[in-house]
Amino acid sequence: MADIHLEATINGRKIFRSAKPHQRLLDFIRDDLNLTGNKEGCGAGECGTCSVFVDGVLMKSCLLPVAKAQGAQIDTIESLAKTGELSVLQKAFHKAGASQCGYCIPGMVMAATAALRINPFADREEIKERLGGNICRCTGYQKIFDAVELARDVQNGRLPASALLETDTGEGDVIGKNVRRIDAPSKVSGRLKYAGDMTMPGMLHVQVLRSPHAHARLVSIDTSAALAMEGVEGVITSADVPGEDGFGVFVNDQPIMARGKVRYVGEAVAAVAAEDVLTAKRALAAIKVVYEQLAPVFDPDEAMRVGSPVVHDYAPDNVTKHIPIRVGDVEKGFAQSDLVVEETYSTQAIEHAYLEPEAGLAYVDHDGVVVIVSPDQNITHHRHMLARIIAKPISKVRFIMSPVGGGFGGKEDMIYQGMLALLAMKTQRPVRLVFTREESIISTAKRHPSRTLLRMGLMRDGRIRALEMKMICDGGAYGMSTEGVMRKAAILAAGPYVIPNVKVDTYGIYTNNTPSGAFRSFGALQTAFATESHLDICAERLGLDPFEIRRINAMRDGATTHTKAKLGSVSLMRALDAAEKASGWEAGSPTSRGATRSDLNRGDSRPACALGARFAAPGTQEAAE
Amino acid sequence: MLICDEYLTPGTLAEAFAAMEQNRGRYRIVAGCTDTLPWAREGRAGDVEIPMLIDVSRIPELRELRVDESRVRLGAATPIQRFLDDAALARALPSMPRCAVWFADDQIRALATIGGNIVNASPAADATPCLIAHEAEVELAKNTGGKVVRRRMKLDAFITGPGRTQLAEGELLVAVDCDALPGYGGSFEKVGHRRSLVISLVCLAVLVKLDSQGRQFEDVRLAIAGIGPKPVRLTEVEKFLCSGPLSAERLEAAADMPVSLVASRTRQEYRREVVRGFMLRGLLNAVRRAGADRQALSGELEVAYG
Repeated sequence: MADIHLEATINGRKIFRSAKPHQRLLDFIRDDLNLTGNKEGCGAGECGTCSVFVDGVLMKSCLLPVAKAQGAQIDTIESLAKTGELSVLQKAFHKAGASQCGYCIPGMVMAATAALRINPFADREEIKERLGGNICRCTGYQKIFDAVELARDVQNGRLPASALLETDTGEGDVIGKNVRRIDAPSKVSGRLKYAGDMTMPGMLHVQVLRSPHAHARLVSIDTSAALAMEGVEGVITSADVPGEDGFGVFVNDQPIMARGKVRYVGEAVAAVAAEDVLTAKRALAAIKVVYEQLAPVFDPDEAMRVGSPVVHDYAPDNVTKHIPIRVGDVEKGFAQSDLVVEETYSTQAIEHAYLEPEAGLAYVDHDGVVVIVSPDQNITHHRHMLARIIAKPISKVRFIMSPVGGGFGGKEDMIYQGMLALLAMKTQRPVRLVFTREESIISTAKRHPSRTLLRMGLMRDGRIRALEMKMICDGGAYGMSTEGVMRKAAILAAGPYVIPNVKVDTYGIYTNNTPSGAFRSFGALQTAFATESHLDICAERLGLDPFEIRRINAMRDGATTHTKAKLGSVSLMRALDAAEKASGWEAGSPTSRGATRSDLNRGDSRPACALGARFAAPGTQEAAE
Repeated sequence: MLICDEYLTPGTLAEAFAAMEQNRGRYRIVAGCTDTLPWAREGRAGDVEIPMLIDVSRIPELRELRVDESRVRLGAATPIQRFLDDAALARALPSMPRCAVWFADDQIRALATIGGNIVNASPAADATPCLIAHEAEVELAKNTGGKVVRRRMKLDAFITGPGRTQLAEGELLVAVDCDALPGYGGSFEKVGHRRSLVISLVCLAVLVKLDSQGRQFEDVRLAIAGIGPKPVRLTEVEKFLCSGPLSAERLEAAADMPVSLVASRTRQEYRREVVRGFMLRGLLNAVRRAGADRQALSGELEVAYG
């Protein structure tokens, strides 16, 4: 391998270093120079958290072979606040509350810096466009744009520098006030270390062999060739689990690595710890796994049928969890109704796509404590489970929660921490695993896809007499949070409406799809989508305004829900009023309104997707049009 | 992950050919790398081991730009960003700045090259329809017995299908020559799954020259991509538009014409609707920028598509 002798200027310092020809500039600055402010979010040029300046031009360092940095001047996020004093833009990000998980922020700050260098007077549209190559999953972008506009105005003297200063109110006076995020300076400067930024002396790199099959019996796994490779320090399979294998949120149905059989494409089968990522990858290729394919099942309805493939022996009907709720008598309610409407609704799997792919570091400390550092949303529970799995007393297991670069529920499951613990124990060296974006997508939980049959009985005046819902969710190969999601879905199925007769059944079903798990709203989205869509359809059938049908049925203060929760105060009426006002809603039933509606295409409504704000700058032809 | 043993950055065409000669069958040519690196990832090519990468983006001849009254010469390694930054280029290629804006984000445009976009031969390549509308010709070079042999051909003949071109083993795309069309009104329409950084589902390049009153078409160039195996020029529609005065009715009739050409593998219905809308919006934008007489166009059309 012909190393590259790299001469470049990095953050104002000359460097003379050798680099591997396959390294990307991102690898070089993060791994070789330990400048970990810029992150890797996707490795494919999509997300921009790796954005750096190359000779003053912003580029995505994941798309740059390191050889392209030859002779160049590279500036990373660390160049902006070198002396510790934040730049105007960084202060503006802090002030505007533009950083949440913070993982995209180094790239955002770099892109914003580039935008204002190119056009110090860029308007909001142009700012949006110039930040278009950077993805944020937390903020919805508005606070980021606010921050860039604030910085622009301070830089141009339109606002005083004091506009960037803290405005915290006094102690104990925080509700309804803007409170500055105390973690923002570490995020806007890139100083905050996420798990994938952390290193330890002697650290090994972990790669995971994943199943290409959805459902197959593991006949044999031969790791000997991998283990014999130079630079490979440890290889593990489920045979290396010393204790009682199995983890989960409600049912411990998931082994650290596939045991006996694989249940979905992407399931971990073996893991390797090696001196570098490339060696670990090559070792994976040397592991020989013999699979015997089993009939898979991908559709939850099919999985519920007698005779369908069984995913877990303990659940021969493939039901992970069924939650039934009965209030009153729905059949009587339907009989009393003037109108009964029945529809089917479905929702799909959704990936959380947090900007930080899963990563973790583990080591065995001087007292023999197995320590796991990862962006783990449930460390206490995981600590207890892992102690049992690795057969150690709880005092010998420690979880440290690293900053979470976005979770949204997707980091609640212990899907890789166990492998790290086993490899740290086996090699007695620190080990680190950083998922690629693709790995994160194929192997981690998704939002439950759902199919909902909904029947509603209503009186002519809009009052709901009965609701019957049967929701079947694809829970995928393992239980994870399915039980909780089914509970919450059932609890929220009837919406914030007074309905005397309710029958709800939610089912989480095992299939050979990617497991479904926790995701913001935790089951509420699926049932609310069905119930609210249904109400619109019912309003149309009854000639009622969609707001009106909701007001007619709305719970008020003191209401009791169909699961017997007594509600002290209910804000639904206020929420409806606010939504109606904000949308400029044109009153009337959907059927009574004509082809033109006053609430569409208003001056303040969102225009169609366009690009080209830069052409509208003063003095250009476009501006004159 | 893209793994190579050697990464070469030749400073001249001769050096590049020498490396290609010595490493026959074990190299891959790269320039901006914005397609190659994402390609070598799981779900696409996976981990790829290539003994040698030859980066041609620093060869001076491939970075050359020449603009004269009638023709433009673009070195194959011209970054897409140049179509936004270089005023002379923008004047000569009126639909290119808008194509560049849609092409990628500011950061990727700085790296991605015109030659890379052509050679990849994606059915939805953004720059190709613009270039085809400019009657582009590619210049190819090859080292044969120590002598550099060049050949030229029309860009639409060079691209033979999805990912396929007439580029021969050992041959490099050196430059693209195309018509300079100053004074034309240009537009570019594109739709994909997100606003920035996305491959086109459909894209359309429009170039229009009107008479001095802005009422009659003197020349129209239309090319579309994403609706079939390769980008196509819409010559029938061009002829139809030039056969009479500029009017809303003529634009609407023209917009219907290419709808039947949609032959892509997926989402045909959607693409047909998009094609009609793009034709109207693209033509409207282009004729306005070409100085159209506003009275020749209906206000209704402008509200709907402008």
